[in-house]
Amino acid sequence: MGETFGDYSILGKPIPRVDARAKVTGQAKYAADYDFPDMLWGQVKRSPYPHARILSIDTSKAEKLPGVKAVTTGKDFGGFRWGWSGPTRDEEPLAVKKVRYQYEGVAAVAAVDEEIAKEACDLIEVEYEPLPGVFDPFEAMQEGAPLVHEDRSGNICVEYHWAFGDVDKAFAESYLVREDTFQTPRMAKGYLETPAVVSYWTDSNHLVYIGAKGSPYFPYRILSRCFNLPLSNVRIITPFIGSDFGGTKNDMTPADFSAVMLAKKAGRPVKIVTSQFDVLTTDLRRHPMWLTIKTGVTKDGILTATYLKAIADGGAYTRMSPLTMMLTGCLMTLPYKLPNFKYDAYNYFTNNPSSAAMRGHGLYHSRFAADVQLDMIAEELGLDPVEIRLRNAIENPKPGEVYEAVNEVHVATCGVKECIEKVAEAINWEKMRKKKKVEGHKAYGVGFAAATYNSGTKLSAHNACAAIIRICEDGSVNYLTGATDVGQGSDTIMSAIAAEVLGIGIEDIDLKRVDSAFTPVDPGTYGSRVTVLAGQAARNAALDAKQQLLEVAAQQFGVKPEEVEIKNKQVFVKSNPDKNMSWERLVRIACYESPGKVIIGRGYSTQGITLLGLADFTRGVGDIGTNYSFTAQAAEVEVDVETGVVKCTDNNVIAHDCGFPLNPPAVETQCQGGAYHQGVAAALYEEFKMDKGQTLNPNLIDYKRPRACEAPMTRVEHVVTNDPYGPFGAKEASEGSCCSAPPAVINAIYDATGVWINNLPAEPEKVFWALKAKKEKSKGKK
Amino acid sequence: MKGEPMELKLTVNGKPYELMVKPNTLLVDVLRQELKLTGTKVGCLDSACGACTVNIDGKAVRSCSVLAFQANGRKVTTIEGVGGDKLHPIQEAMVDYGAIECGFCTPGMVMSAKALLDENPNPSREEVREAIQGNLCADEGYVKYIEAIEIAAKKMRGGQ
Amino acid sequence: MIADFEYFAPKTVDEALSLLSQYREEAKIIAGGQSMLVVMKQGLLTPEYLIDIKGITALDYIKYDEGKGLRIGALTIHRAIEKSPLIRERFGVLSEMERNLATIQTRNWGTIGGNLCHGDPAGDPAPVLIALKAKLKLSSLRGERTIEVEEFSKDYLEVALEPGEMLTEIQVPTPPPHSGVAGEKLMVMKGDMGIVGAAVSITLKPGNGVCQDARIALSNCASTPLRTKEAEKVLIGKAINEGLLTKAGEVASTEANPPVDVHGSAEYRREMIKVFVRRAAAKALERAKAAS
Repeated sequence: MGETFGDYSILGKPIPRVDARAKVTGQAKYAADYDFPDMLWGQVKRSPYPHARILSIDTSKAEKLPGVKAVTTGKDFGGFRWGWSGPTRDEEPLAVKKVRYQYEGVAAVAAVDEEIAKEACDLIEVEYEPLPGVFDPFEAMQEGAPLVHEDRSGNICVEYHWAFGDVDKAFAESYLVREDTFQTPRMAKGYLETPAVVSYWTDSNHLVYIGAKGSPYFPYRILSRCFNLPLSNVRIITPFIGSDFGGTKNDMTPADFSAVMLAKKAGRPVKIVTSQFDVLTTDLRRHPMWLTIKTGVTKDGILTATYLKAIADGGAYTRMSPLTMMLTGCLMTLPYKLPNFKYDAYNYFTNNPSSAAMRGHGLYHSRFAADVQLDMIAEELGLDPVEIRLRNAIENPKPGEVYEAVNEVHVATCGVKECIEKVAEAINWEKMRKKKKVEGHKAYGVGFAAATYNSGTKLSAHNACAAIIRICEDGSVNYLTGATDVGQGSDTIMSAIAAEVLGIGIEDIDLKRVDSAFTPVDPGTYGSRVTVLAGQAARNAALDAKQQLLEVAAQQFGVKPEEVEIKNKQVFVKSNPDKNMSWERLVRIACYESPGKVIIGRGYSTQGITLLGLADFTRGVGDIGTNYSFTAQAAEVEVDVETGVVKCTDNNVIAHDCGFPLNPPAVETQCQGGAYHQGVAAALYEEFKMDKGQTLNPNLIDYKRPRACEAPMTRVEHVVTNDPYGPFGAKEASEGSCCSAPPAVINAIYDATGVWINNLPAEPEKVFWALKAKKEKSKGKK
Repeated sequence: MKGEPMELKLTVNGKPYELMVKPNTLLVDVLRQELKLTGTKVGCLDSACGACTVNIDGKAVRSCSVLAFQANGRKVTTIEGVGGDKLHPIQEAMVDYGAIECGFCTPGMVMSAKALLDENPNPSREEVREAIQGNLCADEGYVKYIEAIEIAAKKMRGGQ
Repeated sequence: MIADFEYFAPKTVDEALSLLSQYREEAKIIAGGQSMLVVMKQGLLTPEYLIDIKGITALDYIKYDEGKGLRIGALTIHRAIEKSPLIRERFGVLSEMERNLATIQTRNWGTIGGNLCHGDPAGDPAPVLIALKAKLKLSSLRGERTIEVEEFSKDYLEVALEPGEMLTEIQVPTPPPHSGVAGEKLMVMKGDMGIVGAAVSITLKPGNGVCQDARIALSNCASTPLRTKEAEKVLIGKAINEGLLTKAGEVASTEANPPVDVHGSAEYRREMIKVFVRRAAAKALERAKAAS
C-alpha cells in the first residue's frame, strides 16, 4: 500500500496512526465530550453591534434566575489584556468599555443546564452607544476615519517596508514588466469541531483547563498571567482535537476566559461549547488581502525583480497580524531565484472579527498572486508555464552547501525543480495542454503552480521544545511531549521517531497528550514546526534513554556502550550478535538489578535558533523557518461556460519535497487535504460576505465548504532531499499544497476559458460575467 | 403536558432503553447526554455537516435533525455499535489506509459508509462519493475516505 | 434551542386531523422535520402543539395504475422515490430530481409532503411536479379536495392549507404519449439548493412533431415556485428548434422575479434562467421525440 523510503525499521514506511483506532470507534474524547458531576453549562453574551461603547451592564436579573450559579463581566478581569506579544496586548477577555466586532463577548453565565444559561444571557441588560465603524482597510486608512483603538493615532496595525537590491533599476532593465492586482477572500479556518472548554478549580489557587487548543502552552501562560497564578498551578489538559488550522484553537476566546472565571466563581466545573454560528461569526479568520504585484523578467522569462504591496484586513485586534504580514512577504524569494525584492505591507484594524493564522499562513496570498502572474508573463513571452518555472526554480544545493536568498533566507535542500518535473510527467503536461478544450458547454484546462512553505518555524520568545521518555520496568515506554496532535499526525510521528531510535515497536510507545502538570513545554502546533523541532526533541530524548540502557547492556556484555545496538527489540553486540538479550530483559536488569535506576530520557531542541538565528520582522531578513518544503501542482478544471461553475477533475497531481517522508501515507493525506480544503476552497468556494461588520453567511449552507462529490482524487508524488536540519532529513509536510492549489486552479481556468480570475473565490457568477465580458470584447473587435 | 418528560423506548446498538425525555429533545442529545454515547458528534446547527450521522433502521440519518421521539420504537446504531473486539472492515480500511486525521468527522463517515455498503455491496465510485456528500471533512480531502470505503467494499464482498 | 411544546404522535390520518382541528393555529405538523427542525432550533418556529405524523405508515406508499396514474403518499421519504423502480421507469424525472435533493441523510428521513408543505420556492420537487401537471390531495375532517401543485404555494414559506387541513397524497397523471419531462438546477456542489432551477414538459403532436403542450416551472426565481406561461406560449403550437428553445428561456427570464442573496444576484439568476429553461426544454424535447 504505497511507497517506502529509506531503510529504517519504522520511518519511511506506511505507519497507521497511533490514535486511529480510538477515533474510528468513537472512543476518542474531544473537549465537548467531557462530563463532570456537578458540571455547569456556560454561555457567552455577545454584542449585536460591530462597534459600540458599553454604557452599562446590568446582570441582576440573570443572577436571580433559578439555576444560575455564576455571572461574569469584563470588569472581573481587573484590566487584564493579552495579545501576540508585549506591545500588542490590546484585547480583553470580555469587553469592558467598547466592543470592536459584532458578537464580541461582553458577559457570561454559568447555569445548571444549557436552556437556563441561554435564558440568563437574554436577561443580562447591556446599554450600548453604537459608533460608526470601518469595515475594510480602505475605509480604515482614510483621514479622520473612526478609530477602532482610540489609544492609537490611526487604524494601521502593522506596517513593513523592506527592500533588497534595487527593484527600480531592475525594472528599467527588464524586457517585460507587469503589474497586476489580486484579492484573497475572508475565510473560515474550517475545523469541524467547534471550540469547547471545560474548566474547574481544585482549590482557590489551582485551575484546570480542558480545551481544544493546538498550542496548549499559550493558555498556560496567558491564564497564569490573567489569574495571577504561578505557571505550576495552571493545568492545561488537551483532549483529542478536531483540527485547528492555526487559529482560535491556537489562541484565546471570550469563552475560554469566561469558563475559567465562572468555574472560579461558582466553585463547580463549567463547560462552554461554542456553536458553529459563533465560530462562523467570531472565530479568527484568514485575512482578506488586496495585493498589487509588479514583476520584471528578461526576454527568456528569468525573474529580475518583484515589488509586492499587500493590504490586509486584520479585524478588530492585533492577534498575530505581525506574523501574517511577515510571512506574506519574507518567502517571496522562494521557490524561484529573485535578485531584487521590495515589499510594502499594511495591515489595518477594522470592525470585523479578527484575522489571524490559517494553514498556508501568509505565503498563500503572495504565492497565489505571484504564480498566477507568472503564467500571465509566460503567456506574453510565448513560454510554457512549466518551462518558465524550471528556468527560475532554485537548484537543490549540493550536500554541505546552502542557497541564500537576497533576504538572508537559507535553504539547505530545495527539491522544487524535481517537483515540477515530476508533476509535469505525472499529469502528462504536454498532452494535457494540447487536449481538446471544449465539449459542448464544458471547457477544460490545466494549470500549474509551485510553492514553498517554512518548516520548523521559530519566533521570538519561547522556542525550545522538549520531550521526556520514561522506560517502564516492563519495557513499555511513556512518551511525554508538549507537542499537540490536532489531526496532522504528530503523535504518530513522535512515537515513530522514539521507537525507531530505541529499536522497539511503535506499539510499545504510549504517548501522553499534553497535560501541563506533567508534560514538558512546547511552543505549539503552528508554523509547521512539530515534525522538525518536536521531532528533534523526540530523537534526543530517545537517544538519551537509549544511552542509559546501552551503558547497562555494555556492563552485562562486558563491552563498551558504542559496541551495542538495539533493533527489533533485540539488544546485541554489533560484532558478535550471539551475545544478545531481549529488550524487556535489558530494561528489567536496568530497573531492578544493577544499577537499579529509573530510566528517563530527556531531550530538547532549539535547533532552529542555534543553527540559523531568528528572523527580523522589521527588515524582512533571516530565517523564519528551520528549513523549507517545496511543492508543485498541476490541476485540471472543468468549466461550464454557460453558468460559470468550475469543478476540479481527477486530473490533479502534487509533488511534495518534505525532505524525507517519515510516514508517506500521512504526507499524502495532508497534501490532498491541504490542496482541497484550504487551497481549492479559496480558489472556488469560500468567502465570508460582510455588510458593515455583519456576516451575511454564517452557516454551512451559505458558506460553502468543499465536499466529496467535487473532490479531485489528487495523486501525491514524493520528492526526497534529506534535509540536514530536520530529524531523519524531514521537513514540514503539506502546507505548501495549500499555497500551490489556488494558483494552479486559477491558471487552469485561464487555460480553459481565456479569462483571468484575479479575485478569489472564482464563484460561478464571477466567472460567468468574466466570460461574458470576454465574449463582448471579442465581438467588439470583429 | 407541555414541557413534561415522556416515555421514550428505543433500541440503541442492540440494547433496549426506556427513558424519560422531554419531547423537544433531539436524538443526538439523547445519545450524547442521556446515554453518554459521545462518539456521535455535533458540528453545526444547519443540518449540513453530517458529524451526527447515525443509522436508524439501517438508514443513514442526521441525529441532530431527528426528534428523539421519532426514533421511538426504532433501532438506532451509533459508532459505538459498529465493530466490536474486531474492527468492522470499513473501520479497518480507514485505519490501515491512513484516511483518518483529526477524527471528528470519522464516526459520521463510518455510519454513512456502513449504510451504503449494507444496502449496496458493490457501489460505483460515484455512489461512494454520494454516500458521504453529506459528511463534511476539513482535513483529508476525501480521497482516502473514498478509497478506503472501496477497499472495505471489496473485502466485504470476499475479495482481497 | 427548541422551545417546549406538547407532543402528539398520531398513528392514523383521522387522529392527526382531529388533533389539527382541535388545536388549529397553535399546532404545527412535523413529518421528517428536515426543513422544520432547522427553523425550530433557531427559535423562529415555536408551536404550542406539535403533531408528529411521521409514524402514520398509511401515508407511506407509491402506487401506480394506468387510469389514476402515480399516487405517492405524503409521508414517502425522498429516498424511496429516488430508488423506486416503478418511478425510475415511468416517471424518471422524479428520481433524477430526488437524486440531487440535498444529501442522502436528508433524503432518508425527509418526506415529499413535508418538502411541499414547507413552501420554499427553492425546493426541488414543486417545479417538476408542476411540469408533470401533478395535483395534491388535501384532507381534513370536512372531507378531501385536490388542488394543482402550482396553486399550492401562496407566498414564501406559505402554502394553501386551510385550518385543519393536511396534505395526504401527491397525484401525478400518466404522461401523455409523445411527451417528455426534464428538470435541472444550478448547483455548485451536488445536493445544493438550486441557485435557480427549471423543469419543463413538452408534449408533441403525433405525426408532425409540433409542440402540442408545454409546461415550464422555475425554482428559486420568485417567492413561490413559478410557472412561466408566456415562455410556454413560445413553444406551444410550433415546431421547436434551437432558436425557440433559446427564446423560451429568455421569455421565462422576464417573467421571473428572482431573489438576491449570497449565492447570486438577480441579474445572474435571470441569465441562468435562460440557460436552464433552454437545457431542460431541450432534454424534454429529446425525450418526447424518443417516446414518439
